[in-house]
Amino acid sequence: MDALASPSAGDDARAIRFTGNWREYLPIAITNALLILCTLGIYRFWAAARQRRYLWSRTLIIDDTLEWTGTGKEMFIGFLIVIMILAPFFLFFQFLFPALMARGKTDAAIGVLMLFYIGFIYLGGFARFRALRYRLSRSWWHGIRGGSDDPGWNYGGEYLGRFFLSAMTMFIIYPWVATGLWNSRWNAMSFGELPFRANLDTEGLKWRWALVYLVPIAVLFVAMFGAILIGASLFTPGDGGAMPPSLGILLIGIIVLFYIAVPLMTLNWYAKFYRKAADATTLGELSFGFEASTLQWLGLFLGNLALAVVTLGFGLTYWGYRNWSFMVRHARIYGSIDVSHLTQSTTHAPGEAEGFADAFDIGAIGA
Amino acid sequence: MIEGRLYDGLTAHPHDVRVAVADGRLELSQDSGWSDSVDGAALKRLDADPSALRLGRRDQPGWRLILPPDAEDELTPLLGKQERYGRWIDRVGLVPALITGGAITAAVLAVGYIAPHWIAPHVPMSWERNVGAALVGDFGTNRCRNAKGQRALETLVERVAPGSTKGPNGIKVAALNIPIFNAAALPGGYIVVFKPAITETDPDALAGVLAHEVAHVRRRHVAEALIRELGIGALIRMFAGNVGANAEQIVSLSYTRSNEAQADSDAIRMLKRANISPKPTAELFQTLSKASPGFSAAFLRSHPLSSKRAEQFEQSFDSKAHYQRALSQDQTDALYDICWKRPAEVKDS
Repeated sequence: MDALASPSAGDDARAIRFTGNWREYLPIAITNALLILCTLGIYRFWAAARQRRYLWSRTLIIDDTLEWTGTGKEMFIGFLIVIMILAPFFLFFQFLFPALMARGKTDAAIGVLMLFYIGFIYLGGFARFRALRYRLSRSWWHGIRGGSDDPGWNYGGEYLGRFFLSAMTMFIIYPWVATGLWNSRWNAMSFGELPFRANLDTEGLKWRWALVYLVPIAVLFVAMFGAILIGASLFTPGDGGAMPPSLGILLIGIIVLFYIAVPLMTLNWYAKFYRKAADATTLGELSFGFEASTLQWLGLFLGNLALAVVTLGFGLTYWGYRNWSFMVRHARIYGSIDVSHLTQSTTHAPGEAEGFADAFDIGAIGA
Repeated sequence: MIEGRLYDGLTAHPHDVRVAVADGRLELSQDSGWSDSVDGAALKRLDADPSALRLGRRDQPGWRLILPPDAEDELTPLLGKQERYGRWIDRVGLVPALITGGAITAAVLAVGYIAPHWIAPHVPMSWERNVGAALVGDFGTNRCRNAKGQRALETLVERVAPGSTKGPNGIKVAALNIPIFNAAALPGGYIVVFKPAITETDPDALAGVLAHEVAHVRRRHVAEALIRELGIGALIRMFAGNVGANAEQIVSLSYTRSNEAQADSDAIRMLKRANISPKPTAELFQTLSKASPGFSAAFLRSHPLSSKRAEQFEQSFDSKAHYQRALSQDQTDALYDICWKRPAEVKDS
């Protein structure tokens, strides 16, 4: 009785399920949107808390739902703290950079900008870690919560270092960077007294990453070859070598293809990354899975866009709902958990909220 | 008696319990003989799917009691109202909160939009000058420093606005060797003109552009935009979740539509007083609004052009007037050479 096994097959018997529906969420979406509009945006912290309370309470894991205990007030205070720390820096750079540029001191201006970006990337990594830690500390199941005792300062440094290594190689080594960061982040987290263990490697990810580079180049070559063929057939000597209009359209087509191929291939990589990352992560006897394909991810993003366009912006209020339910619907949990040995977390419950993450616009996906 | 499930917050193990309400307290018991009593004031209702009523305790994190939904009737007197929108909204109610909030928001936006217009004329010019000096200094190596050209440029400003370059608050006009077609009024009475706006324009049209910028300075539109940008703009951007405002924002101050219209009508008046034909300016605006985006993108962004604006200049043209050229041929030549360096200077730099 103390060990809860998670059934592994069959949709109704799945260990993790989303039980909400969009009609039930509609009153929350409408009132959140209205209140955000009528409070100069200040309500958005309370709106986020309400949204999460709903989404978590409709996420069933084995025999009980998740529960969100974070509050709008604590996120608002976290945000104010971050603003107080960051605002002077932003103001300073906002004046310093144009002041240096106006004086023609381009090198100094670029130097200052570089320093600014270094700080920004460090804080970005730090924020990502803190967001995960905060979310776990406010997520409860069976009266037990998660958390971490690691403040994340070192993770920020690791993130910065790996980012620069990656940038220096034109991001060719990005699979090693991303997997390493996943492991560092999750190995610092726990639920109850159980530590998360992540052992993600780049097996199967390297080739997909190469496609991010190879496919757009291949597309470019094929299209250019086609363009030359068409161009040659259209070119008649004696018209001064002017470019026929159809060739111009073709060129634009090539550029468009290129810009579609790059994000598509990146998405293709991330789809695999999240599937592998979930597989490589465990919590005690529980293991995880994630089964969203590239096309399903694409469907999510295009669906979000279409929804926002069709509803003249109101659909934006459903993005959080759609993203979360997408994650839950494709998530899998396997194995069993001994509930009488899953004891309460002793990690420090951070109070500063996600302010940092919100300030950097880091969303729910992937956190 | 209600059957329920209890988590004690110490382990994840569920305990089957029986629940009863008595004297404002929740009485819990088990077959094993264990029992507990919880004060109703310590209880809070938590969000749950419709299949359950979920209770927590204010004094014990992790303590959870899960009951069937039909237990709600019996427990309602004990629990009071559930928090819905957040305590500060619940206290006044949703509709009153929306009405008051809407009114306050509208008022803040209105004040934020109008107030800079009232405040700007009262900002001492010396403050604005300090901001401008800190921001631009002497423009360093960007500046075109040909002395004769600079004199011609100042003459042009004096032609449209006599006396405007004199005195401590005088307008300081500078040509910048930057290959973008643009002109702008900056804080502190600085007017900058980028090289293509000088060398690829008729001096009469440049006179119209300069008159427009002089009007922005004189009407304190620059201070107004600065206040608007730093005040309400910063506030909105902050809560709209976009703290990382980009660095250009200060230099690319944007004026309101009425500011632009006012600067235009001032410019038309200045050209008239200076006896300079408004036609070249009209033609310039006409060309720019049709030109390829690469050429005039910067100018269009800071001065939204419409054919209507060009028309206004066009209409002020008086066919009976004897217009004079804004600059003599010598001055025009000097102006075109403003960014030209003598060979010796080129070697130095």
